[in-house]
Amino acid sequence: MLTPDSRDVRCTSTPCSEPAVIRLRDSGQYLCSTHCIRHVENLFSRTVEDQRMIAPGDRIAVALSGGKDSTALLLLLHAALPAWPGVTLIAVTVDEGIAGYRDETIGAAVELTVRLGVEHHIVSFASLFGGDLDVLLKGRESRSCTVCGILRRRALATAARQAGATRIAIGHNLDDEAQTVLMNLLRGDFPHLVQDAASGEPECFIPRIKPLAWLSEREIVTYLILTGNYRELPECPYTGFALRSEVRAMLTGLEFRHPGTMKNLIRSRDTIRQHTPRASGVGSVQRCRECGEHCSGEICQVCRILGRPG
Amino acid sequence: MQIILPDRSTRQLDCGTLPIEEILHRFGINPVSVIVTRNGRLVPETAYAEEDDEIRIIRVAHGG
Repeated sequence: MLTPDSRDVRCTSTPCSEPAVIRLRDSGQYLCSTHCIRHVENLFSRTVEDQRMIAPGDRIAVALSGGKDSTALLLLLHAALPAWPGVTLIAVTVDEGIAGYRDETIGAAVELTVRLGVEHHIVSFASLFGGDLDVLLKGRESRSCTVCGILRRRALATAARQAGATRIAIGHNLDDEAQTVLMNLLRGDFPHLVQDAASGEPECFIPRIKPLAWLSEREIVTYLILTGNYRELPECPYTGFALRSEVRAMLTGLEFRHPGTMKNLIRSRDTIRQHTPRASGVGSVQRCRECGEHCSGEICQVCRILGRPG
Repeated sequence: MQIILPDRSTRQLDCGTLPIEEILHRFGINPVSVIVTRNGRLVPETAYAEEDDEIRIIRVAHGG
């Protein structure tokens, strides 16, 4: 019978021989708990620095759902604060009003912000749009993620603007980003494929940064477990309706057979962006005839969803 | 060995020593979508499991 020690795979960082907790499939590296935490922190810092996501004096609104990605994002940003002069953090949680799901994640978000001493704002669909998502979705559940995404972006932008934020930080990870690239391609949605929300253009929008964009879901969950911040939370009941779940299954299959697929998709998108004139992305920006918010048509998507007269 | 699946249901597997990746394969689980603990400790999917081990599979791909 093998002893526990002989069964352990060892960390391949030099010099280290601690038991590995994760294998990075694309590079083939094995990392122990210490080197895994360091790897996640370094990749986060490198992403922020390489893409110049944060400037001195920034007030960053962190989109905090209370789930794993936004929890990791807030923890990493909070830990990095001493290195950024004059930068402040606030957390914004959007309560969509999803029965049996959101209460628990909001509780987790509140606990985390209290523990870290971060100013926390909670905004709800009910107060902004006159109804919970459960009500607003009646009869169009198959479009749940699209509807929710549009309303959530507006809620987040409204709360961030009211709080005086200069950046919005989103917890999108490598898997999310790769899925989004593929979904935009499958939909033939070239403007969204090349649009870079971090650029701050058009000027009327607060730049949205994604410091976890090169970290996989596995790396993020492993990091949370190793740092004692992981908690199991319910899954959104609308997830199964989404095109995203089909794309996710397809991409994890490809990533298993061809490690590096997700990173390659993002690199391809970045290359396309570099070779695309900026005007090819978002169209001209004007004010919505109904609500006065910035949008690319006469009526914004939020007003269309809410059925406001056009 | 005892296997705890992502939905928290448990299965008993009598199969001697084998790589965790093989266990995942038997349950139709893609290693890219999960992480695994062996007796409460995180291990890579290439680690081995034995008769007396408790293997817990945690799904990382999550909607919401």
